[in-house]
Amino acid sequence: MTAALTTIGVLIGAVGLYLLMPGARLSSWKAATPLLLAACALAIGSSLQAFPAIYDKVAFSVFAAIGLLGGICVITNKQPVYSALFFVLVVVCVTGLLLLMQAQFLSMALLAIYAGAILVTYVFVIMLAQQGGTAAYDHTARSPLIGVLAGFVLLGIISAGLGRPEGGPPQIAMPSLAADAGAGTVRNVGLQLLTTYAVAIQIAGVLLLASMVGAVGIARRKASTGGIEEVD
Amino acid sequence: MLAAYLAIGAALFILGLVGFLTRRNLIVMFLCTELMFQGIIVNLVAFGRYPLSGPPTLHGQIFALFLLVVAAAEAALGLALVVLLYRNKGTLDANAWTLLRDA
Repeated sequence: MTAALTTIGVLIGAVGLYLLMPGARLSSWKAATPLLLAACALAIGSSLQAFPAIYDKVAFSVFAAIGLLGGICVITNKQPVYSALFFVLVVVCVTGLLLLMQAQFLSMALLAIYAGAILVTYVFVIMLAQQGGTAAYDHTARSPLIGVLAGFVLLGIISAGLGRPEGGPPQIAMPSLAADAGAGTVRNVGLQLLTTYAVAIQIAGVLLLASMVGAVGIARRKASTGGIEEVD
Repeated sequence: MLAAYLAIGAALFILGLVGFLTRRNLIVMFLCTELMFQGIIVNLVAFGRYPLSGPPTLHGQIFALFLLVVAAAEAALGLALVVLLYRNKGTLDANAWTLLRDA
């Protein structure tokens, strides 16, 4: 029953996403919206019975639905600035999902780093490179049918494996964590990071420094000495 | 509950994959890789919170933190490369860079 529902959801989602792709042969905004809404509702509704508390059900379905619809808007919007802003919406919804899984520190770090730092860089680059409205290459997708098919065949296989009664992940409800037992608070995550992962975090710092030096070095380069010769 | 979070993570990853395959704007393609990262982060934290055996651990969250570091490094380098490519050809179209493609 659930497997059939998820299959239908994946199929409807594939059709809706294809209809929403810019430049697809049968591009239709009005037909795609109800299809995608129905696909999200099916995908979320078929996984809701695992949650014991009504609060978890409501919060999970709100965050998941807004996150999925935001993701669809990211990849189908014709203006890159709006894609970036919808991506902020996705990050906020993922933050909510992480809070439901008791990952408090990680959710705030994700919000600060992604929505605060990385997305600002993206918006700056978009403003730098694309000042004159939408370009022609944003109005046509590159082989939308093959792309949507490849993605949703993969999604169908994954969701079929997840919904399998035997061999799938166990459907057990974990007891809620005590505040200081295993929750992802600053104290717990910091203790783990500075004891178990002390070497790894040093290496992560070196990686960040190296990538910063590399980014400055690449971006300062003159275009004429870029090393690539113009052929045409 | 693990299956629900894994399904959402897989859906976010697939949305990013479809966007990466179909969009032609270099910046939006990079944005789609970040969308894939979001799906992976949901997956990692879900595996840490609802492990297949044993009590919940923090290892998934810490793995996701290191993923955040790698994502920041990737965004910095990738956007610097995009700026360089834009200065060379004056367009963000991925189809303008087909020198390495056969035919």
